[in-house]
Amino acid sequence: MHLRTNQQRRTSRPTWLLMAASLFLAPAVMANVTLDDDPAEEAEVEEDKEEILALVGGEIHTGLGGVLRDATLLVREGKIAAFGYDVDVPEDAEVVDVSGLRIYPGLIAVGSFGLFGSSGNLDDSVDPYNQNMTLALAAGITTAVDGNSVAKLKRGHVDGLVVSSSAFESLSYSNGNPQGQLKVENDLKGAADYIRAYRAWEQEKKSNKEAKEPSKKGVDQKALRILRGEIRPRFNADERTDLLEIAQLAQRFGFRPIINGCREGWTVADELGRAGATAIVTPRTRRPKDESLLREGGSSIENASTLYKHGVNVVVVPASRGISLGGIVGQDLLHLPVEAGFAIRGGLPELAGLRSITIEAARVLGVDYRIGSIELGKDADLIVTDGDLLHYQTFVQWAIVDGEIVYDKQAEMFFAHIRPRPETALAPAERMDSGEEAPADAPEVEPAEDAGEEPVIEEPVIEESGGEEPEANEDPEESEDPEESENTEQTAGSSGA
Amino acid sequence: MILSPLLLLGPIAAAPAAPVQGDLFVIKAPRVELGDGEVMEHAVILVEDGEIVTMGQDLPIERGIPVIELEEGQVVMPGLVNPYSRVGMTGGGYNDSRPQVMASAELYPSAAYEAFLENGVTTVGQYPAGQGIPGQAVAIRPEGDTAGEMVVEDGVYLKIVMRNNSSAKRNLRDGFKKADDHLKKVEKEREKFDKAQAKAKSDKKSKSKSKATFVPPPADPRVQPFFDLREGKLRALVSIRNAASYEHLVDAIGDEEFDWSLRIPLTRDIDVFHVADKVGERGCFVLMEPLITLVPGTLRQRNLPAEFERAGANLVLLPRTDTKAGFESFLEDVGVMIGAGLDRKAAVRAITHNPATFMGLGDRLGSLSEGKRANLLIFSGDPFQPDTKLDAVMLDGKFVSGDMDQ
Repeated sequence: MHLRTNQQRRTSRPTWLLMAASLFLAPAVMANVTLDDDPAEEAEVEEDKEEILALVGGEIHTGLGGVLRDATLLVREGKIAAFGYDVDVPEDAEVVDVSGLRIYPGLIAVGSFGLFGSSGNLDDSVDPYNQNMTLALAAGITTAVDGNSVAKLKRGHVDGLVVSSSAFESLSYSNGNPQGQLKVENDLKGAADYIRAYRAWEQEKKSNKEAKEPSKKGVDQKALRILRGEIRPRFNADERTDLLEIAQLAQRFGFRPIINGCREGWTVADELGRAGATAIVTPRTRRPKDESLLREGGSSIENASTLYKHGVNVVVVPASRGISLGGIVGQDLLHLPVEAGFAIRGGLPELAGLRSITIEAARVLGVDYRIGSIELGKDADLIVTDGDLLHYQTFVQWAIVDGEIVYDKQAEMFFAHIRPRPETALAPAERMDSGEEAPADAPEVEPAEDAGEEPVIEEPVIEESGGEEPEANEDPEESEDPEESENTEQTAGSSGA
Repeated sequence: MILSPLLLLGPIAAAPAAPVQGDLFVIKAPRVELGDGEVMEHAVILVEDGEIVTMGQDLPIERGIPVIELEEGQVVMPGLVNPYSRVGMTGGGYNDSRPQVMASAELYPSAAYEAFLENGVTTVGQYPAGQGIPGQAVAIRPEGDTAGEMVVEDGVYLKIVMRNNSSAKRNLRDGFKKADDHLKKVEKEREKFDKAQAKAKSDKKSKSKSKATFVPPPADPRVQPFFDLREGKLRALVSIRNAASYEHLVDAIGDEEFDWSLRIPLTRDIDVFHVADKVGERGCFVLMEPLITLVPGTLRQRNLPAEFERAGANLVLLPRTDTKAGFESFLEDVGVMIGAGLDRKAAVRAITHNPATFMGLGDRLGSLSEGKRANLLIFSGDPFQPDTKLDAVMLDGKFVSGDMDQ
């Protein structure tokens, strides 16, 4: 593994490293990429410069199925400006060499508590340095629902967190409360009647100017918004009968329900699929079936996969929506990707597993236009991992929110000691500045970086660290399966440490 | 050596035939901590009427002037300045915005103030109690029979409490907003006045000088302090609870520009190291206790005063508790911080020159040089060693505590 990072963001300057990177990479293809080409002055004016971050050499998983190996991702002003193979890296960009690592969209937790160190109005009360936020970032989560707000884990910032202030519109529709069911039905019916009457009036007023607009009086606004498709209602339901009734209600009135829980969804997956439902499931839920009933029931590890096969979009959340270092350890937000891994264990395709904690989660929250996948123009909420995100051994190395590195595994006390990144585990060499400030040394440094880009590591620190040929790690490209090479690297690294 | 315009007084005092006056004397000290971090050896300090008129190394002393000759090993230091205390005050506070409240109104001489002098504190900043924006602090000398005698300067800073909630942020934002509203009101009044003037002129050209000058409507007393902040007449001291409240403070201030410093209590473990660099970049004053804290939730120790000082902040150290016990162990506590990595010069500044400058009194006290008040302490040795005794405390040229006599 071969990593380099320019540690000081604020004083990011052109270094020989990134000069090398820009030389190495072919000219720009992106039309929207414009270069600021006054490198001479930028030491002075760097404050005013837009911040550009370049992740170079990584394996980009867009979250929509695309995988780009040894590609570059460029972030400008917090948005994904370019990614691919022919990306021109501006000289003033902060370059992070992520070769051998993977880039994923940041994960989204559709329920959380305690990540923002506050409740209520996040902009005025968030504690952006609280430990749980850092831990959630360490788990790869860059956006979470707190209360009914969708907010980003912008460590160190108190503004611009909230993406949406209405995460969900809840609707209660349960067998246990027939009166409530009746009310929901009546509300929907009233809204449906109103919409029908309104459409009829729209037609009629073309011919008849006298036509009267139907009265909105008594029409439930929420039901109206649901039927107009402006919001998707969320139900809490686990049991088969409730799920069936929700599916039928949804089909009758023509809306797409979001079902939180959905424990017995696998028994009625086809109905839910037909209703266009999205299920928010916890794959590790364990509940035996009610033995007094003949029908199928209880939890199943295949729940997510069965639902998915029947066309239900699946979102995964862990059993606990907090960060738990005692009690329920292992089933909390720290293990969101692991939870998705269990859905895969039950048969969910890997891509669907990744989507269940990224883009599908963004969709149920109505924020998929900004986050949830790696696409041009979307917010640069990214995570860089040292392996398959859904593998239990994988660590998040960097988490990036709005283009800013807000979590660096080696800079935090939590996981830095476990399989440390080679060059940061030891004292970082001053190689960054030596190229600039000591011109005598420069010729040596420059061509080496330039030619080598990928494999050349000349810092003696690495050799010290290995003690046992770090060279073995240098050529991930040679092995056929990148995942395989990833893991072997890991093992080598850990046994060496 | 520091020169000041008042050096002119030097020759007068040292003039050959100058008669010995009652309030004129010399201190010969083997070692003087000047307060700005520097040290002067074999110093001669000429004091007249409670003020240092001349000071220098091995200056000749005119015959007839009383000399206080200190023993080898004794150290002179400027009187300590504690800018943040409520000892001697009893009032309660509120949790809203009352920037017009003056702590001086609460001031009343009492025996409680002796605790300051006994422990070498010759200047004190006393702030009003309460949350939100409780009001303005007063700088006092802890000696005097009336409140008036004690006051050195009133309105030395406006205390603001910042917390991670909307009401704290609103207090600050609303203060400036109301100031803006008042300006708009004044502008409207002026327009009205101008119109009336123009009308009056056109009506009767002969007597137009009846009401020539526009008198703006007076500002609400709650609004005035915010004008003072903007104009630099008043500085703010913002008490924050953690790193997050610093961010909220910066967010609440927005584009507003005024002189603000930070009170960061270290009496419990706190995560302000996250913002040490940002605070250091601002270079404001930071008031904290000489305490080693832990990274919250861990057993990792941090010397936050040293970190903030290194980052570039102007450190001000306060006793670890605002009580007599806190004053008694203060210098020893500072000594511990020096042992734990705080720069010694910075530590001296943090208890003398910096707090004085923070309260806008740096040109009068907090350090030892010509023109400064003769507020000084005489120690039996290094002030930061635990076995050192405070031999005497001089306030405005008079011994007010200790064993020494003039």
